[in-house]
Formats: sequence, structure tokens, C-alpha cells
Amino acid sequence: MKRATSLRISVSGVRGVVGESLTPQLASKFAQAFGTYLGRGSVIVGQDSRKSGTMVKKAVISGLLSVGCQPVEIGISPIPSIQVLAKESRSIGAIAVTASHNPKEWNGLKFITKEGLYLNYHQVDEFLDIYHQGEFSLVDVEKYKTPQFKEDSTEPHMTKLMSYFNVGLIGQKKFRVAIDCTNGAGAVLAPRYLKELGCEPVLLNCVPDGSFAHHPEPLPENIIGLCRTVVENRADVGFVQDADADRLAVVNEKGEPLGEELTLALASKYILSQNPGSVVINLSTSRAIDDIAKEFNVPVIRTKIGEINVVEHILSQEEKPAIGGEGNGGVILQDIHPCRDSFAAMGLILEYMAESGKTISELQDGIPRYYMIKDKIQGTQEKAYSIIRQLRKKYAGQGEISLLDGLKILFTDYWVHIRPSNTEPVIRLIIEAKSRDAAEKTVEFWRKEMSEAAKWK
Amino acid sequence: MKLLKIGISGVRGIVGETIIPELVMDFACAFGTYLDSKKVLVGRDTRISGPMLHEATLSALVSTGCTVLDLGICPTPIIQYMVKHFKAKGAVSITAGHNDLKWNALTFINQDGTYLNMFQGEEVLDIYHLGKFTKASVDHLGKIELIDDYLNFYFKKLRNFLNAEAIKKAKFKVVIDPCNGAGAKIIDVFSQQMGFELIAVNNEPNGYFPHDPEPRPRNAQEVASVLKVVNADVGFLLNSDASRISFVAENGETLSEEFTLPLIAKYYLDKNPGIVVTNHSSSRMIEEVARGKNCPLVKVKVGQSYSIQSLINEDGVMAGEGSGGIAIPEFQSAFDGFLTMGLILEIMAVRKKKVSELVDELPRYHIIKEKIYCPPTKIHSVVNEAKNIYADRPVDTSDGIKIEDKDGWIHVRTSATEPMIRVIAEDRSKEKARERVEEVMNFISVLVK
Repeated sequence: MKRATSLRISVSGVRGVVGESLTPQLASKFAQAFGTYLGRGSVIVGQDSRKSGTMVKKAVISGLLSVGCQPVEIGISPIPSIQVLAKESRSIGAIAVTASHNPKEWNGLKFITKEGLYLNYHQVDEFLDIYHQGEFSLVDVEKYKTPQFKEDSTEPHMTKLMSYFNVGLIGQKKFRVAIDCTNGAGAVLAPRYLKELGCEPVLLNCVPDGSFAHHPEPLPENIIGLCRTVVENRADVGFVQDADADRLAVVNEKGEPLGEELTLALASKYILSQNPGSVVINLSTSRAIDDIAKEFNVPVIRTKIGEINVVEHILSQEEKPAIGGEGNGGVILQDIHPCRDSFAAMGLILEYMAESGKTISELQDGIPRYYMIKDKIQGTQEKAYSIIRQLRKKYAGQGEISLLDGLKILFTDYWVHIRPSNTEPVIRLIIEAKSRDAAEKTVEFWRKEMSEAAKWK
Repeated sequence: MKLLKIGISGVRGIVGETIIPELVMDFACAFGTYLDSKKVLVGRDTRISGPMLHEATLSALVSTGCTVLDLGICPTPIIQYMVKHFKAKGAVSITAGHNDLKWNALTFINQDGTYLNMFQGEEVLDIYHLGKFTKASVDHLGKIELIDDYLNFYFKKLRNFLNAEAIKKAKFKVVIDPCNGAGAKIIDVFSQQMGFELIAVNNEPNGYFPHDPEPRPRNAQEVASVLKVVNADVGFLLNSDASRISFVAENGETLSEEFTLPLIAKYYLDKNPGIVVTNHSSSRMIEEVARGKNCPLVKVKVGQSYSIQSLINEDGVMAGEGSGGIAIPEFQSAFDGFLTMGLILEIMAVRKKKVSELVDELPRYHIIKEKIYCPPTKIHSVVNEAKNIYADRPVDTSDGIKIEDKDGWIHVRTSATEPMIRVIAEDRSKEKARERVEEVMNFISVLVK
């Protein structure tokens, strides 16, 4: 078994472990490559709240300066706010110092274009070529720029949020909202945002110091503290963000976590009731979205895994889609910005509550129930493809097969999705069935099928 | 040919060619590893490339677990003084001294506030070449603390050292040109603390140098013309990190930076007799002054690091170079432009004499300095070859070659900072000094091609 390396360079940027692979030298070289790729101009440099953020950020600024770019330092900022700012300002791009939901030992860089989007596959190829070739456009001193600082980096994002939502309607309800920012980047905006929506925020882990109070991924097992806070404070709803504030999970007024798949389901149901249109989601997102789309008679467009894939499909539709996103709690509302945005997700859910006059648990009841299990087995990409080849032959004609990203087979009462991970040497196995029981049994069955298929050759 | 000079006390090169973030980070990582993840000070001059090196240095130092006290834009002598105050293990000064804007450099300073000595420097270089740097895990990364109230502390200490009362009473009018370098604006604090009236030129810390940041007569025209208009008592020029100065007399005469050391020695050795350290390229004026005070003179290779090491080893009372850098260990063992300006003001005040009168008391020599480009691959052999001009005369080879006679001397050596050969001659007559230089220049200009 290969040891999992602590450096990952992929379509979603660079990630590494501080003190091992993520050195100042590495960060600076990536910044030089990005500056070389963009050409000279101002580049926004933001960060999540990780303790290693300053070290990595300074390396990035140094790298940008050396290739003649003007770094605009904005400090700790949610990633959707950085993306909106990149689009609304005159910058030629942005670098976010973040490792998203990875544990605190990690940090990384995400690269954002002047449109406020992550690099797509072609752009990543070009950019990584520059990095690997190592020929950066270093400039003479005469072309050096002075680094700048910008306060209020969240303002353009905030303005868009405030003009999109019906603040009057939400405000009337005076919701009490428990918010857990995981001491991540969301903490710089979430409390103020909720207040301006007329809610009464109850704060949990809202100090952006990177001391992640729990694993910074919004999974039910990580948010027990929030569940308790909701009950103790009789809150109407609880929200938890991941460390860079693009994903959101919800806790109902009884203190029960809904599961991250429900975030997009609730948001979609509300949006479609107001403004029907297509829904763009990735292959692994819950079938609940298909059911909701059927209710409103709108199409669902499925894409490969990876946020940029969903975003590119949203932008390439002839008719503007109503909503998009990922089942992991990533809601994409193009009218605010084509990126995963936990603030947009909060706004949609609060407005849904206000508009419908229902509690979260009542709204939850209106969403078709499924049970999803995300499992993985050890194995390389090569092994994954061999398994997929075998299973595809075996199941030909037995269900609706998609080969868009690995192998997905849709049966009448459940679906299975097998694909190699982009970031780890594992093969992912995702199952969604109508009950927990069924899901668990199905996972067992498919684990066996996979190990059988691995033996064939 | 890309220019990079790695010396015992740091690394210097041209920004965008050799001075790039990775190189700066590798050196800072080596220094941080050498310091064993302890406390370190960082400051820089005003060069426009400064922020690139500064951010790279901070990032690298914290990655090795060093706690950084960031002094921002700060003259090297003040960084050196603050090392001891903060009980730091070392410091990095980001400055290329008198070099023009396209250069920058890291200078490494030890816990005594002096440039790294040979042994320390070699240890850092070994770590650099080995490339094995301490990599702190996330919980052991260094922290960065911004320090901004150190100027008053430093200048109070300087005021206590000098005869501040005499200076204040004299109500001097002083023109200072910090060349928009690290001394810019800080000279305002200096003047307030010492109680003289300041007329500043090029006093913006914006990193654009209006002339080469080297304190010498050809750069002193601006100071001289302002001085005459406002009727000032003295004018000073600083290099970009305020470690060295030259001065302009009240009559507008722009004096060679060679006068700085003998002028101060003549006064200071009266009260504090002892060993004086200088380099082989400095004017004979200091020899005569030291002899007059019965003080031994020790000559070393050119460079602050060598002078200061010798000063410490010999337990000397002062060290200085003809380039205008003076160190007085009673205050601190570092070339300090503020100390130097303060002492000149003190001499004027205590002895109640004009600058031109003080200069007239010094033996007059004429020094001519030239330099010529030479490819680094043959620079040492060319210098050595020049010996042949003086076939039958004794040659001192401790720093390049130096030949002396009763009227003067000639010194041919490689620059420590650029691929240049320096030719310096001194004589009682200006023409003779010029002739000495031309003889060598004619000889080696053929060889360097």
C-alpha cells in the first residue's frame, strides 16, 4: 500500500501539511506561477483562519511581488466573499490561503480568476505547466509594485446578499439562529450577516483563530455542540459552516442534524417554488433533488464531481438554471455568485422559513427521505478503473448506467456510485437507498462486488 | 552573468536575477535553523523590492519556529541596538547599503548586535548548502509581533551617551539627506531628541533614491546648495541603511567620507585612548591622528564584519572605515550613522568650532577611488597580476595588494559586493594620487577584457 502523500496538487488547488510538504518556498513558487499565468496586475490575497495562514500568505505575497503583481491583502475572509470581490474589483485574480475542511495541520492555495471562479480543467493544465516548467516572469525592480491592504473585503458579497433576499420578510420573524463557524473564516461575516437579516444570532465557535473546536467538516458527528446550543437557547434553526465557509449544514429546532444532503434539498425546494428552472448538481448528489425537480416539472443536469464542473454547467446553460450545488452542503446561487456559498444557503433557508411560516422540522418533512452512505476502499486509480470495467459489463442492462465520472448505476430503489478519488489513493463507494437498513445492506453487497471485481483481471 | 555575492554576514544580489523569493527563503530558513527557533528581529531599508524580501524572510523564519519581532522600515544600526534590548538571538537587516536600487541583500546579525563573524557565517552557509531546515509543525510555528515604539528608546540611549546638553545649547541648524532611505523620517526623531533644527532633503521613505545612496562628495551637491541657502552649520549624507555618513562643511565644501573617521578619532581618543581599528583602504589621516594620540592602529580587510571582529578581539575603543562608518563599542559595536552625526555635532558644540576649522586641523591627503568591471572568473588573478607593476617593492597582500611609500599608497582589491576591482590611491598631492590610480587602471584595463 502506498503511503498517502502529504502534498496534493489537483484541480482544486494545492494542499499540503505545514512542517512537511507545504513550505514557504512551495507556496511562493505557486504564487509566482499564478502571477506568470495571469500577467501583471493586482491579485487579491485572502485566507481562512488557520494558524499557519500568516506564514503561507507572506510567502504568496513575496512570490506575487517578484513577478510584478500587486498583492491586495484582505486578511481572513470567507471564500465566497473572496470570489465575489475578485469579480467586482479590478483585480486580475485571487489566491485564497485555505485547506477547506482539512484538519488544522493542513493548509493550501486555491486559485481564482478575475471572474471570481476557480480555474477550470484547461486553465489548471496551463497553470500547472507553468509551475512545472519553472520559468516565471520575474521582473526588474522598476516594475515592482507596493503591496496594498484592503479592509471590508466582504462588502461586495454582503451587498449582493442583502439585495437578493427579502430582508423585511425574514426580519419580521425575529428568528433566533444558532451559528457555529468552526472558528473558521465565516466568523468574520456570519454574526453581522444574521443581524442584518433581522435575526438574533447565538454564537458558537465564532472566533476566527483557527482553533477548530471540532473537525472542520459539517458532518453530523462534528456538530453535537451546535445541536445542544439550539436546544438550550430554543433557537429556530442551527447552522454550521466549514472552515472556509462555502458549505453549510443545518440543525432543526429540536436540535437534530438534518444531514448535509438536506441543505441543497431545502434550498432547491424553496427556489423552485418561487422561480422554476433547471437544477445543476453533481452525480453523487441525493435523489431527493430529482424528486423535488419532478414536483416542479423542471430538468436536473448532472455533472462530474468537482465544484468547477457544476459551475461550468450552470454558466453554459442556455436558460439560466434556478439553482445548483453539491450534496455536501454546497449551495450555488448564480444570482449572487456562481460559487458554493454558505451565506446564500442560510438566506434561502431563513427566507423559506419566513415565507412558509413552517419550522425546519416541518420543512424537512416535505423533502423525500433517502439514506446515503459514503464509503471508500483502498486502491489506486488504475485498480478503480479495472473494477469499474468489470462491474459495468456485469450490470449492463440491469439499471440506468452513467459513465460520466466513474460508474453510477441507478436502480429503481437505490443507486450506487463508484469512482476513484481525485485527492487520495482510495476508491469511493456511495450508496443512496430509501432506508438506513437498505443502505447498509447495499453497501455490504457492493463492497463484496468490488473486491470480487478486483480479483478478476 | 548573474550577480550573487554570498559573504559571511549575508547574501547580496540583483533583484529578479538572483534575489528571488526562494533564495531569500532558503537563506532565512538556514538562519532560522541556525538560531534554533529562537527570537529574531527583522527590519529593512526603503527599497521598492523591500516588501518582497521582507515577506519572504518573515514567512521563512516563522516556518523554522522563530518568533519574529518585526521592526518594519528600520536603519541597520537601530536593529543592531535593539537586538540586545529585546534579548533576541539574532536579526536580519534587509538592505543593500550603498548599492543602487536594483540590488538588495540580507545581512545577518548575531545576539551581540554585530554582523555574523566568520565561524557563525560559515555555520549558516553550511546549513544553507545542506538544505536541511527546521520545519515547525503548525503548533510550533513562530509568531510575528509588530514593534513600533523603539525609536524613542534608541534615541534616548543615544542622547545619554552624547553630550546632549552642549548640542542643544549650540542651537545648530543641520541639513540631512537620508536619500529617501531607512533614515528618512527617523532623522525627525533624531533632531527632536537632540534639539537641533533640521532641514531635511530627500526625507521620504518611498524607496526611490534621488542619487546613489552612497555618502560621498559627488552625491552631496543637493545638501551643499541647501546648506548655503539656509546658512546651516553642517550637512550630512546617509547611505540607505543609515550606517555610514559623509558631511558638508558650513562653507559648502563637500568633504570626502574619508574625513569622518579622523575627525571623530581626534576628539574621542583624547578622552578614551586605546586601540583603533580601520581597513587597508582608509586614508592615512587616521594613522597620523592615532599616532598623535599614541594610540595603536590595527588594519584589517575591508568590510564591517572584519572591522568589528577585530574591534572586539583587540578590545579596541573605536573602529571605522574610510567609507564613513564608525563604531564606538562604548555605545555599540556597529557602524552607526546617528552616533556618528551626534558625535560630530558634539565636537562642534564642545570645541566651539566650525566644521571647516575642525577639518583644517586634520592632515590633508587626497584620495582617489576608481573601480573597473572584471569577470568574476578571473578577478583574483587580475588583482594578483597587478603586483608586477611594482616588481621590486614590498607588497602587503592581506586584502588584495597594497604598496606604500612615504607620500602615500595604492590599494588594489576585489569588491566584496560586486564583480569589480577597486583601485584606491592616496597622496599628499592630488595629481600624484591620480597618477598612481591611472598607472594601475591602464595596466589592468587590458587584462579584464
